[in-house]
Amino acid sequence: MNPLLVQFLSESRDFSQDIGQKLLQMEDAPSDQGLINELFRLVHTLKGNSGLFTFPEMTRVLHAGEDLLGMVRDGRIAYSRELADRLLNAIDFVMELCADIESTERIDASRAKDAARMTESLRGLMPAVECEAPASARINAAAATAEEMPTLAELPGATREELLRHCRAGEALNWISYAPVHDCFFQGDDPFFCARQTPGLLWGGARPSEALPSLAELDTYRCVLEFHLVTSASREELDEHFRYVTEQVRIVAVNPQWLELTESNHADPHCIAGRSVIANAPAQTAPSSGAGEAWRERTAAINAIFAAQQQILMLDDHPDWRAGRIRAVGAVLVNLARSAGDQVAASEIQAALTECLSTGRNSLLLLWLETSKAHLIASLSGASAPLSTNPAATRSNGSEEAPPASEVGPAQSTPGDGIKFGRRAEDSSAGPRNLKVDQAKIDRLMNLIGELVVSKNALPYLAQRAETQFGVRELSREIKGEYSVINRIADEMQDAIMQVRMMTVSSIFQRFPRLVRDISRKLGKEVQLVLEDEQTEADKNIIESLADPLIHIVRNSLDHGLETPEIRRARGKPETGTLTIRAAQQADRVVIEIIDDGKGIDPAVIKQKAYEKGLIDESTLERIDDREAINLIFAAGLSTAAVISDLSGRGVGMDVVRSAVEKINGTVVIHSELGMGTTIRISLPLSMAVTQVMIVESDGQLFGIPMDNVVETVRVPKRELRKIKQSLAAVLRGRIVPLKSLNTMLGISATPLANSDDELAVLLVQAGGEILGLLVDGFRETIGLIQKPLSGFLSGLSAYSGSALMGDGSVLMILNIREIV
Amino acid sequence: MPIVFKRNRAVFQGGAGVEEAEGLLEWLQKRPTAKADLSACNHLHTANLQVLMTAKTGISSWPEDIELRAWLEPALKAGE
Repeated sequence: MNPLLVQFLSESRDFSQDIGQKLLQMEDAPSDQGLINELFRLVHTLKGNSGLFTFPEMTRVLHAGEDLLGMVRDGRIAYSRELADRLLNAIDFVMELCADIESTERIDASRAKDAARMTESLRGLMPAVECEAPASARINAAAATAEEMPTLAELPGATREELLRHCRAGEALNWISYAPVHDCFFQGDDPFFCARQTPGLLWGGARPSEALPSLAELDTYRCVLEFHLVTSASREELDEHFRYVTEQVRIVAVNPQWLELTESNHADPHCIAGRSVIANAPAQTAPSSGAGEAWRERTAAINAIFAAQQQILMLDDHPDWRAGRIRAVGAVLVNLARSAGDQVAASEIQAALTECLSTGRNSLLLLWLETSKAHLIASLSGASAPLSTNPAATRSNGSEEAPPASEVGPAQSTPGDGIKFGRRAEDSSAGPRNLKVDQAKIDRLMNLIGELVVSKNALPYLAQRAETQFGVRELSREIKGEYSVINRIADEMQDAIMQVRMMTVSSIFQRFPRLVRDISRKLGKEVQLVLEDEQTEADKNIIESLADPLIHIVRNSLDHGLETPEIRRARGKPETGTLTIRAAQQADRVVIEIIDDGKGIDPAVIKQKAYEKGLIDESTLERIDDREAINLIFAAGLSTAAVISDLSGRGVGMDVVRSAVEKINGTVVIHSELGMGTTIRISLPLSMAVTQVMIVESDGQLFGIPMDNVVETVRVPKRELRKIKQSLAAVLRGRIVPLKSLNTMLGISATPLANSDDELAVLLVQAGGEILGLLVDGFRETIGLIQKPLSGFLSGLSAYSGSALMGDGSVLMILNIREIV
Repeated sequence: MPIVFKRNRAVFQGGAGVEEAEGLLEWLQKRPTAKADLSACNHLHTANLQVLMTAKTGISSWPEDIELRAWLEPALKAGE
């Protein structure tokens, strides 16, 4: 699930709870202005948040709630228990929606109806003026059946036949009237597009919703069109499609008879013979349901046949065709009578028909229809049916049994109903799965586990003492056994707490698209930003302290690294530069690379600049290679941009980057190829909590050296040491390594001790890209420990980065290698 | 450009958005006899549609998009 959505859900839950609480408090203090302000703010915020996503149902309900509370706040309506009930209901509904979203990441379209009812119930409490819109919608809905006939009648004959075919094929058609609000363009709607996209669309038409103004007066941004559609899509699909504009849409199930009726009004009258026509079909709204349905349909069909015959007889256009018509009607009626088994009626009709044909008048047949058809209908419909001979009565009967269920939501509820939605306070619901915890609590847990790790380290000492001092070997072994158990649990616990503190780098990466866009616009450069492996995790503190350095680097890359499109073209590169920010986890470190394909860094320029600014002396200028030269850009006070811009070039930046990264025990290196681009690589520990240190001994004291600095440990025979001027050096693996005595650096007068083979212990450390050999007396083990910064008087000692408590209770000082070399 | 204005003919191409409507209206106000060429049009925003309907603009060629044509023909012919 999208992290933004996760946050939204967790916040919504909090808000909903707050709103519920405040509403209950309001019951005791209904006139508390502070409370109502707070309530309004909460609902307002929640509504705003929901608008970020595509949850129109939620937004709509909250919007109504906000309006209502706004009125309470302004004193236009009084707070009442009823009001609180409905708002609580609305909030419950919102919570339900949240649960829906949590499980399916969307709101089911079926909720739209509930949302509309909810909204209606809230708006029902508002004074009449304010709820004008829904009220008129109600009227519209009530008048729906009377209104749609003309529209269907406007359909061209061919379309209607087509629709009729669909109906006969058993498809349920829906008729939709979509009257967009006048200011819908400002909400980004394109009603025409929406109408065109309607699922299962069979026919659609646009027409003005009001008289069109003259061309001079037309306001382009005021929508004056409305749309009428016929579709074969199901009600659910339509609800889903129109979920944003529920109030503007009316959906009515099409009764096939409407299509047939309209035919009689417009189509060529000669074509209607044999087709059923019902004179007053509009009264028959929704398709009826229930046991009597089949019977009703049959009756309606028979009625229709008779009505059609009657109508044909009444036609009086072409006297030449009359005979043919009479014969046709007569044949139909005779067949009807026969199928009813009514031989008397059949012979009656036959007689009337012969009479009519001989006189050329149809009055006799008409008369027969008037007087005797009821009898025939009755026998045709079947004896068991509760038949009423009056078609109108039949229909009204039918519509009572089957209320028009197909109207849109708002029409059904009246404000006084006090609609309730499923959930009640006592209903249990799945609690939120996310906890929001104060960081201080996690930090405390972290400290405690740190202490545990340290005190656990005391057990091996104890085991050793048991064996050596008290000579109880058995006990020693048992202690060691217990130790390994505690060790495992403590490790897992530490890991678990670290997991809690883990954040993905995406939390800082996500600000880059905007940053890069803005800066590249400003600089007139074309830049494509590529973010890779955003899901890489690291400790929260690490991630947070990474944000600023990364922004510096990205700005620098954009400003100094990437060229303008013209220059890039001239150099045969694609006009759009690429800036890649990539994260990866490598063992216990997070590596972040910022790669651009810009012009790269010219080591000669850097060297020269650094020399000019006095950062390096002449001998260094001669000595250092290109790689080292490029890393000089991390030195304070060096800027390579010829022009100082507001983005970068003031000589602060890269040195800030380095110090920020080093503060969290990270390293930063830069590789650059002139003309090809630059890669900056930041390597950070996954977590700052536990530092791996190597313990060395010098002059009888123990010192810790962070493993990040340690390259290797070697023993060098004394005779292989070379003295160059005042300093010692040795050739190790083919390169000259300067050697320094740790004692000297710490101001201890003792000389390094050699072992029995006359070899010196050399710890190779790396500091600021240089390798240096530290002469110590001996190496001890490597341990993980929680480093505590020096405080108080000791905090001024820069030679130490901190101290840690050892398992035997002694204090280990951790050296800050960078400071002392 | 979604709408190219020739001397007396507005040629629609692709989809014409809401932001085109204002320009279309002004142009049509000055040229009451202008025609619209919709052959290459695949959608026009409601705002454009209502401008064409109000102006009763004659259509020199209907959209090749049959579905769009079915929508537009009755609406725009009714105005003629």
